Amino acid sequence: MAMHRRNVANCGDQPKTAPETDLAKKIAIVEDEAAIRENYVAAFQREGYSVDAYEARDEAMQAFDVRLPALVVIDINLKDDVEGGFELCRELRSRAAELPIIFLTARDSEFDAVSGLRLGADDYLTKDISLPHLMARVAALFRRLDAMQKPQSKVSRIVRGDLEIDTDRMTIHWQEQAVGLTLTEFWLVHAMARYPGHVKNRQQLMDAAQAVLDDNTITSHVKRIRRKFVAIDSGFDAIETVYGMGYRWLAD
Amino acid sequence: MNLKRQLLLVSLLTLVLPWAGYKFIHETESALRIGQQQMLASTARYIGDSLATYPEEFPHGPRGDETVGDQIYGHPLNSRPEIDGYFDDWSIERSSLRALRGTDGPVHFVVGVVDEAAYLYVEVRDNNVVFARPGSRTPDSGPTFFDAVTLISTSPLYLNETIVFSAEAPGPVIAVVRNDYGIKPDPSIIATWRDVPGGYQIEARIPVSRLGTHLGVIVYNTASELQSPAQSVTFTSRKPAAFVTVSPDLSRITDGLAQPGMRLTVTDTSGWRIAESGDLATAAAEDASIRSTWLRVLYDALVESGDAAELAEPDPGGLEGRDYVSQALAGEESAGWFRSAESGRAVVAVAQPVIVDGDPIGAFVLQQGTDAILSLRNQGLVRLMNVTLIATLLVAATLLGYATWLSRRIRRLSVAAEEALDSDRLRSSLPSARSGDEVGDLSRSFSHVLRQLADYNDYLRTLASKLSHELRTPLAIVTSSLENLEHEPLNEASADYAARARSGADRLRRILSAMSEASRVEELMAHAEPESFDLRAVLASTVVAYRDVYTQRMFEFDSDVESAAMQGSPELIIQMLDKLVDNAVGFSDDGDTITLGLEKEHDTLLLGVSNPGPPLPERMRHQLFDSMVSMRPGEDNKHLGLGLYVAKLIAEGHGGKIDAENTDDGVIFRVALPMPPG
Repeated sequence: MAMHRRNVANCGDQPKTAPETDLAKKIAIVEDEAAIRENYVAAFQREGYSVDAYEARDEAMQAFDVRLPALVVIDINLKDDVEGGFELCRELRSRAAELPIIFLTARDSEFDAVSGLRLGADDYLTKDISLPHLMARVAALFRRLDAMQKPQSKVSRIVRGDLEIDTDRMTIHWQEQAVGLTLTEFWLVHAMARYPGHVKNRQQLMDAAQAVLDDNTITSHVKRIRRKFVAIDSGFDAIETVYGMGYRWLAD
Repeated sequence: MNLKRQLLLVSLLTLVLPWAGYKFIHETESALRIGQQQMLASTARYIGDSLATYPEEFPHGPRGDETVGDQIYGHPLNSRPEIDGYFDDWSIERSSLRALRGTDGPVHFVVGVVDEAAYLYVEVRDNNVVFARPGSRTPDSGPTFFDAVTLISTSPLYLNETIVFSAEAPGPVIAVVRNDYGIKPDPSIIATWRDVPGGYQIEARIPVSRLGTHLGVIVYNTASELQSPAQSVTFTSRKPAAFVTVSPDLSRITDGLAQPGMRLTVTDTSGWRIAESGDLATAAAEDASIRSTWLRVLYDALVESGDAAELAEPDPGGLEGRDYVSQALAGEESAGWFRSAESGRAVVAVAQPVIVDGDPIGAFVLQQGTDAILSLRNQGLVRLMNVTLIATLLVAATLLGYATWLSRRIRRLSVAAEEALDSDRLRSSLPSARSGDEVGDLSRSFSHVLRQLADYNDYLRTLASKLSHELRTPLAIVTSSLENLEHEPLNEASADYAARARSGADRLRRILSAMSEASRVEELMAHAEPESFDLRAVLASTVVAYRDVYTQRMFEFDSDVESAAMQGSPELIIQMLDKLVDNAVGFSDDGDTITLGLEKEHDTLLLGVSNPGPPLPERMRHQLFDSMVSMRPGEDNKHLGLGLYVAKLIAEGHGGKIDAENTDDGVIFRVALPMPPG
């Protein structure tokens, strides 16, 4: 639908998170395109992270053997190594189950996104994403990581019937079972469920997810979210499609 | 003219076949006929030489003072007729009777000869028969006159007699002979007078010995006893002309000369028949004659015609007047050729003079039936006709079948090529692709062209997504650089430039996203799990949404369908609708009404989006839905022509079809979607 696409330079209500310790969090970027790499490095450094940039998989793995960073941003296509990013992700995940991994790539196909997420990546972003959005994502991941280590706070919880959202840890439970959502999916559910019954159009959902997503991508995301809920509860039908408008979370 | 007609026309050339065959048969036949004629001529020369040794059998010399035709001819009779005044027991045809001009109508008479007796038969038309008074002797000497027939018999120099037949009443007549010695009845002459309506008939028998060498008949017809009678005379000069009849001696000679199957006719110098022998064999000819009518018609049309065969028969009057006889009498050898269309019988005739001491003393005609030749020709012709007819039909049928087959192949090829072009199935194989002939070549080059077109179309189809993919990374460089730049201290002018660069990059990003939309839709459709939904409900709700989005247009939803269940992805259907509505908005003006319609037709849902606006150019109708084809006005160049392509992908992904048509005042896009069974 030809919804108005606002300029997403201003990234809404997600708070920017500054490094919490003196010791800056270490982010590793694996990207073969020097110009983009340098731009990302500059942006992350500006946000106060310490950044290591690598051009190729071998180089990155050697460095990771020595010490794992706090978060890794990987491009899939690394020079001649067409699927190098996937390989890297698999190896990293096998070493560190909790390490946040973000794919940042030019490949926008559904197939690649699903593959990447299946390998255990926490997010799959295309290079369309703006730097502020990217920063917000990274900050959110760190925040979730931090929240996981703290005791659960009642304040950060939103409960809508069977649905329970922990905004700190960015986790969602349905019928007391954890639903494994990516950050984007979390924010989409969060945006819909915060005001049940209200139709959220695609633009609103896009803004909430801090991503530039086109209609098809939103559709795919909603489909994936539904599938994940249905996996837990086959009778799940809380997300309604309002044709021509958007989606809404049905109140009980 | 189509191929079939052309070849059929060419097949007409096979008609040359029967013509050539006919020519051949005709030549053969002519050669045979000439051969037979020559053979007959040589036989005739021999006969002519033989006849020349009997000059005494021919009446003497040319009769210079007599007119040909004045002579009385004594027809040879097979039997003796009864003297009863009737002709019907004569053994010759009625056509043998000679006619004289009479006062009340023609006078007919004939003279026959059998066994030394001459017979006379006279038929007179007479409105008023005047019988003789008893005692009257001659009809023209008075004092009273009466109707009578006289026979003048003379032998020049010594005999001059008139035999008068007159009656006092119908019945037996006593003939009176008048000569230099007086008038007296002659009992050796028997005659009968028979009254018939409109006249009378006289039949008489006279011993040949009583007759002279010259004969004449005079019929007297008087209106009353007192009136001098009018005469009908057989001779034009003063004296009677010669009495000619068949010579028994000569007949014996010719009987020995004539061979089987030949007829030999001998005439004197005037052409009077004085002997006839032999007969034409005709039995075989009947068998070989052409039986079926249509073949006879064909035969008559093809075969060179001779004179009618009846003309070859001996003249019933005894005077042979044919051209070839006249030529022979003039001293020349000549030939004739007769043919009967009726029986297929033909006669070859050769006429030659009989020459003694350099002068012709008579002529003879030798005739032979050409049954052998004819049957050869007839049978050959029938066989030829049959064979060539079958051959012609066979050739025509074969050519027709071949032409049908050929033109069907070509038509199938052209239809298949058109279909492939229309339906986008450019890779489907064309008919006749494997045959080694020119049609196969044509099919293969068609296939080749279509394949190249398909490759080109594939290239176009993927061009957009490939291009957008390749451009994404450099665009990311530009975008991220600009975003970093925002954090640097910039003076006002630089900030402006940076902002402009950002907005440009943003636009570029949107274009790239549109360019890869098609491939994403394809991907989505490949993975989509079809769900059941109500198309009508979806349409109704989207129309509401369009009203919000396009505030400058009116939207109308026109459907009498209550519910329209279908299988598929409602999101994609909406995306397709978006493209169509976006297109409709682009081609209409502010305030126009865009109508969305939904109809059911059998097992198809017809979804229509129509808008007022300029009509579609006809030549673009098929390309409209192709990738990167845009017909938007020049200034609106943001459109890459992918919208309708995406709409087509979605429609076809749902097993449907999309097309566009001009309406009275605008354009309608129709999507036909199949309904799920049941």
